[in-house]
Amino acid sequence: MKRSKKIALSLFPVYSVFLGLILSGLLMLLLDANPLFVYKKMLIFAFRDAYNIADIFAKATPLMLTGLAFGFAFRASLFNIGAQGQFYMGCLATVTCSLFMNNFPAVILLPLCVLASGVAGGLWGSLVGYAKAKFNANEFLISMMSTYVAIAIMNYLIRGPLIESKGEYPQTDVIAQSAWIPQIIPHTRLHWGFVLAVVIAALAYFILWKTTLGFKIRAVGMNRDSARYAGINEKRIFVEVFFISGAFAGLAGFMEVNGIQHMLVQGFNPYLGAEGIGIAILGNAHPLGIVFAAILFGALKVGGNLVVQTSSIPSSIIGIMEGLVMISVIFSYFLRERILIRMEKKMLQAEDRKEDPRV
Amino acid sequence: MLIGHENTAVELIGITKYFPGTIANYKVNLTVRKGEVLALLGENGAGKSTLMKVLYGMYMPDEGEIRVDGKKVDIRSPQDALALGIGMIHQHFTLVPVHTVVENVLLSAFNTPKGKLPVSEAAKEIEEIGRKYGLEVDPYALVNQLTVGMQQRVEILKALYAGARILIMDEPTAVLTPQNAQKLFEFVQDFRQAGNSVVFITHKLNEVMEIADRIVVMRGGKVTGELPREAASENELARMMVGKDLDEITVTNVSEGDSFGNIVLSIRNLRVKSARGHMAVDGLSLDIREGEIFGIAGVSGNGQEELAEALCGLRKIDGGEILLESKNIVGKKVMEIIKEGIGYIPADRHREGLVLDMSLEENLILRKFESESFSARGVLIQENIRRYAERAIDEYAIKTPSSKVKVRGLSGGNQQKVVVAREMDIATTALVAVQPTRGLDLGAIDYVHRTLLKAKAEGKAILLISTELSEILALSDRVGVIYRGKIVKVFNRQEAKVDEIGLAMMGVSNDEAQ
Repeated sequence: MKRSKKIALSLFPVYSVFLGLILSGLLMLLLDANPLFVYKKMLIFAFRDAYNIADIFAKATPLMLTGLAFGFAFRASLFNIGAQGQFYMGCLATVTCSLFMNNFPAVILLPLCVLASGVAGGLWGSLVGYAKAKFNANEFLISMMSTYVAIAIMNYLIRGPLIESKGEYPQTDVIAQSAWIPQIIPHTRLHWGFVLAVVIAALAYFILWKTTLGFKIRAVGMNRDSARYAGINEKRIFVEVFFISGAFAGLAGFMEVNGIQHMLVQGFNPYLGAEGIGIAILGNAHPLGIVFAAILFGALKVGGNLVVQTSSIPSSIIGIMEGLVMISVIFSYFLRERILIRMEKKMLQAEDRKEDPRV
Repeated sequence: MLIGHENTAVELIGITKYFPGTIANYKVNLTVRKGEVLALLGENGAGKSTLMKVLYGMYMPDEGEIRVDGKKVDIRSPQDALALGIGMIHQHFTLVPVHTVVENVLLSAFNTPKGKLPVSEAAKEIEEIGRKYGLEVDPYALVNQLTVGMQQRVEILKALYAGARILIMDEPTAVLTPQNAQKLFEFVQDFRQAGNSVVFITHKLNEVMEIADRIVVMRGGKVTGELPREAASENELARMMVGKDLDEITVTNVSEGDSFGNIVLSIRNLRVKSARGHMAVDGLSLDIREGEIFGIAGVSGNGQEELAEALCGLRKIDGGEILLESKNIVGKKVMEIIKEGIGYIPADRHREGLVLDMSLEENLILRKFESESFSARGVLIQENIRRYAERAIDEYAIKTPSSKVKVRGLSGGNQQKVVVAREMDIATTALVAVQPTRGLDLGAIDYVHRTLLKAKAEGKAILLISTELSEILALSDRVGVIYRGKIVKVFNRQEAKVDEIGLAMMGVSNDEAQ
């Protein structure tokens, strides 16, 4: 295959991001807004000052983790649609830790919170993996439904044992300062959790491509029959993958509770899991791609929010933009696959003609 | 071709069908005449079913055209096919088990006015068709309460109700008892007498001889022969099916009977169930000695895959024992059997032998990535893996730009070399090779054969399972014929006759043939 053609194909997702933005622009025309003007303003707002730029990365942090949650499981051809629930379990674990162990200094408390949120999300996720391994349940449905159970548990705890001391709203008290993730740049919302998230992305990469566990995960993901033939126990892989995947989503809870909110509010960030799926797809389920996709979405959010606040454009335009970008990226993968299959077919045909002198 | 249209029901002209990675049909021409039973004979994978699914609108051909009654037609779905009078009885039934017979029959004829199902009218018609062709069945019975033979009747009624004049039957007797099969043949004859056509897909020779008017043999996606029944003999057909030029094979590497060492692999009374639950390997016994190639010949589906999978720890064993150097290895896991030194070249390198989207080096270590030379404390040792891969690429002359490319991009021959290289390395005591040269070109076939002979020279016990009789004959020291999960006959290579093996493969014993 020609090299240039291959490169052109691999750039499909990049074009499609622009296609998504152009399509959203058409919708803006219907709102009597000039898309060029809106996009220009978005860019200006997103990069106006240190605070806004920092906010892009702060917004990208939890998205990166829920993106990794979906992407990691996807490498094993498993669908973890339950990142939202795993995220909430992580939130509950970390807020409990932060509230009840506030006597510890930050150096102990923060690692404890990391551990608690990761393990909580991981265990919640591995239930899904277990159901699949044991009962051959459909992990797509089970993980999706597990989110609703997680929400119910959260509602119960936050209106009961974890409710703020005033007892007025369904939210916890503000956690002690020692449980706050320190900021990277003072007076912005960017905290060291962003760096941790990037390190976790690197860890995901390491697990997948440098360890025997990753080898097994990818083998199961790409060809279950071959994996079986290689003696890999796929059922065990289901549980392990869902644990790791759930742990990533749980850690997003640590980022949001200890890094941004400093408390837990009932039902906050309700679209984090869903957006993670889009980000993972945008990043082709590759950790590096997910990091960049999360930052892109962070920028869309920051710029978009400010445009919406300062003009008459409805705020739903941000969601529409995100959605259209996702749809066009997914479509670009589909198209790319189709083109590749057609090229393969042509190659086979050509080879065949060479071999068969009758033709 | 232009003459005699009035006698032609269907013509397939130059049909080519590609699937990613393979060519299932290649420029196939086939004519079905009115009032005839055409047997489509061939091995599994010869392309018979694909061709018929093209005719029935389940696949779109990549090239070629279809003519029905002399007119070019465009068949895009089974609905189109049925509208043209073409019906198909699938090997696996396409019935809704919890619905009644009449509901199932109406399933393929649901375009009724006002969306109302004409249940009672249909039931009457079903009874009528049933009486006409001896296919009586209670229209209001639930399908899941019918026997398999009755369910097949419902399938046939479904096609007839929809107006089929040309009936394609895909291995219809596979699920039937001999008595039911006889009943089916009677129906086929009646149906033909009424001026209709039947395409009968099978790989059973005796059936062909019993009911076909004309026989078309397919092999490797192409039509390799066509003859009227009167001109056919079972021997001749067996030859056409397994390849024509078997007698020309020179026997080069066969050792004398007593030059072998001790028995390495001994299988005693092995019983293994297939995925569908029937006893696919049913009391099979054989011994393989050091430095011996034992070839298993047989029509596929007689328990070969299950035997190989059982030997390699992939399938549960329901009885008997497998002794590797006198040690029973029944119940061991895949990894343990790999450690015992049994290599396994599976029949399908794409489905099983390789992970096509993994790199060459990852595929080379696919079955031993946890050995200490390739990983330590769960982390892969990339340097060792790369060096190992480079050595294997060198030793097996695998043509590839690097050890990092995906094996998907390699040619079939080089892909198979990856599998062979890996399994040769695992096989310190024994090697199980199933269809090791399927779909390869001559150069690659020769290479794989030489590698197997090298393994033999190294004193390994080799079980070669292949439906290519030529391959079995070229390599084996002894040939066992498998039929319905048993070794029915064992030949020493020098005494093996193609005709005798061919007949044994079809389940015909010597006495019957005479």
